[in-house]
Amino acid sequence: MSPQTTPDEPLPLAGLTVLDISSFIAAPAAAAALGDFGADVIKIEPPVDGDPHRNSFRNASYPQSDRNFPWQLDGRHKRSLALDLKTDGARTILERLLKRADVMIVNFPPPARERLRLRWEDIEPINPRLVYCSLTGYGETGPDRDRPGFDITAYFGRSGILDAARYDGGPPGVSLPAQGDRATAMTLVAAILMGLRRRDQTGKGGWVGTSLYANGVWANGTTAAGALIGAQLPVRPPPDRPRNALTNLYRTKDDRWLQLLMVRDDRLWATFCGIIERPDLMADPRFTGRPERRAHAQELHDLLEPVFAGRRYADWETRLSGTGIPFGVIGRLADVIDDEQAEHAGIFADTTNPAIPRTVNTPIRLGFAAPRTAGPPPEVGQHNDEVLRETGFSEAEIDALKKSGALG
Amino acid sequence: MTETALPLAGLRVLDISSFIAAPAAAVVLGDWGADVIKIEGPDGDANRKIMKDSANYPKAGVNYPWEMDSRNKRSLVLDLKSPEARAALDRLLATSDIVICNFPPPVRDKLKLTYEDMKKVNPKLIYASLTGYGESGPDRDRPGFDVTAYFARSGLLEAQRYEGGPPGVPGPAQGDRATAMALVSSILMALIHRMQTGEGSWVGTSLLGNGLWSCGVIAQAALVGAFLPHRPPPDRPRTALGNIYATADDRWLQLTIVREDKLWAPLCKALDLPALIDDPRFAAIDERRRRSAELAAIFRETFATQPYEHWRAALAAHEVTFGVISRPQDIPDDVQAVHAGAVVETAIPEMPRTLANPIRLGFAEQRIAHAAPALGQHTDEILGEIGLSTEEISGLRSSGAVR
Repeated sequence: MSPQTTPDEPLPLAGLTVLDISSFIAAPAAAAALGDFGADVIKIEPPVDGDPHRNSFRNASYPQSDRNFPWQLDGRHKRSLALDLKTDGARTILERLLKRADVMIVNFPPPARERLRLRWEDIEPINPRLVYCSLTGYGETGPDRDRPGFDITAYFGRSGILDAARYDGGPPGVSLPAQGDRATAMTLVAAILMGLRRRDQTGKGGWVGTSLYANGVWANGTTAAGALIGAQLPVRPPPDRPRNALTNLYRTKDDRWLQLLMVRDDRLWATFCGIIERPDLMADPRFTGRPERRAHAQELHDLLEPVFAGRRYADWETRLSGTGIPFGVIGRLADVIDDEQAEHAGIFADTTNPAIPRTVNTPIRLGFAAPRTAGPPPEVGQHNDEVLRETGFSEAEIDALKKSGALG
Repeated sequence: MTETALPLAGLRVLDISSFIAAPAAAVVLGDWGADVIKIEGPDGDANRKIMKDSANYPKAGVNYPWEMDSRNKRSLVLDLKSPEARAALDRLLATSDIVICNFPPPVRDKLKLTYEDMKKVNPKLIYASLTGYGESGPDRDRPGFDVTAYFARSGLLEAQRYEGGPPGVPGPAQGDRATAMALVSSILMALIHRMQTGEGSWVGTSLLGNGLWSCGVIAQAALVGAFLPHRPPPDRPRTALGNIYATADDRWLQLTIVREDKLWAPLCKALDLPALIDDPRFAAIDERRRRSAELAAIFRETFATQPYEHWRAALAAHEVTFGVISRPQDIPDDVQAVHAGAVVETAIPEMPRTLANPIRLGFAEQRIAHAAPALGQHTDEILGEIGLSTEEISGLRSSGAVR
């Protein structure tokens, strides 16, 4: 069997009900991943406006589009139930849903959980077989427990990643929208699956969780492990002041960045001088041997920079290919979306939503099952009646709940 | 409420992988109770030497990256090219639940380490595959590394540029460790599937797939034709109130003011720039946005006059929201890192603390880290466990198949 085999077995999470009582990205993305593999995901959101992530696409730090692409990504496969959790009626509905659910995902800050009686100790008496999954910014205890945590502050800023991601003398690195949230979602999925395994073994549910901060530190683990024993990360010199001019980044005429990785310059120097049409350099006493080229790295860089800037990347690709000189390019998303290899790696998938016909798969590949095809994400409260009927509420009860304001 | 039984206790994992993403997934399984056997060639996993070999690693007297990626594993040296070693491997496969493999596909073919090969030996086996670029396609056989496959090829580094600046800088193994969590998730899916059907299976992930998943928002935007503009550098921000500033002691502070109307005056007070509050150049949001470079220059000069601690206290006193850009060296002393379960103690005297994996369970605690194994430290012990006699083991040894 290979991963390309058409799977005909039921999805591994079919039959599980997940309550996604979370907002924004890391926790909802974990729920979407469970939905990809067969779980029935019910998103519980505030009436009217719903999850504020429905409006993230208007955020100035997001790529600008009139299509709600982030909501497609994180809302897929979900049914929406709009509940005002502050009302008694909503509590009745929630408790009935909890009795039938297998997994609940929550990311309210701890004080809100306490107020809304959504802590594990509040939920366990209702359904002791439930896997309760918690996401926080900074952990479940400690001085910063109650701080709302975001990807950029908790995963990237606090963990030391952005500080480490800088060139000598330059500003901290740049993180991309939700970059750490999505990586954290994979940890939440693993935590939930551990909880399900334990339930299969013991019949008991339990609390599982993670924090954005811990995920940032884990991603930064090599550097952080060094810091724990007092070792410091060497600062990366910027490309215009390299330690070695032959393993460095160069900008091409069309603003691409070429990675030159000539580790074996002892063998390849003459070839390289030919390719850049500077045979004179071979006789230049500053660059005759490896120690000389290292000692004059700055001069060599200053000489190579205009050479690389003089031609387009495609031209360099033609010239360098097949010469044995290792090189690469810093990829652009514009190319990645049409990258044949990305298709082979199962990274993108077609949807049945005409407005957003392709989406991004989770990185999990299973030989025995393919992720479900995504349709359009739900409108706020789109599945109110359907979910309430399934949960055993009569039409009269549903009417009464609507009148009480529990559904907004 | 912690119980002694760990959720993966009783499972045997063969870690036939090298470097970081795949071995780190094996570490996580070991943290939660699995018996992890690391199978290495006679020269050992090259990750044993990465601290020394890579210019981008912090240097130390303790081999901390190896300790971190090998904790609680046992090491068995098998020369997988020798036929005698194959017989021992098959006996191990027959008693194992999970195998983790990251050889490039041609090597798997040559060494008969594909899923098809192993399935014949043990149909209940879960085979977890990590590749750089996927299991088929033109780049299937390329060795993939974190920096090339997860970061460069995915478009992450290109997107992480300041306008006009060079590509972003990834931290050592940053994408590898994130990828490890996806590999763990895929293995746990397979365990659920095995519990339901009694069958083993192939599961896997790729570094490229994980890089694109993590930048999924902008990848999804690219799929509808929308692209993220490069971020303006801190000296010409879109808004001076959502920008980073260096302090006198070379720390960076991140202003993240969303409610400008409410926080403009408190900010000016915290910066000890009271005259700015009613300065007509910056009277309202529109003026401040239009003159953001001018305003950022004033802030930059001001922040540069005092150290980080001063500004932290001053901004907090006026309830102005800001983020901290911590340095890696701040992590060891951050109490919250311990509360978050990120920093934990070990049983390794020369490396008394390490990083836990980010999964937390209310019903179980991760195993404490013991020293990573020396090359081949557990060869005799493991071969004995799968039923080889002392004579057989010494036969294998003299043939060079094991060490």
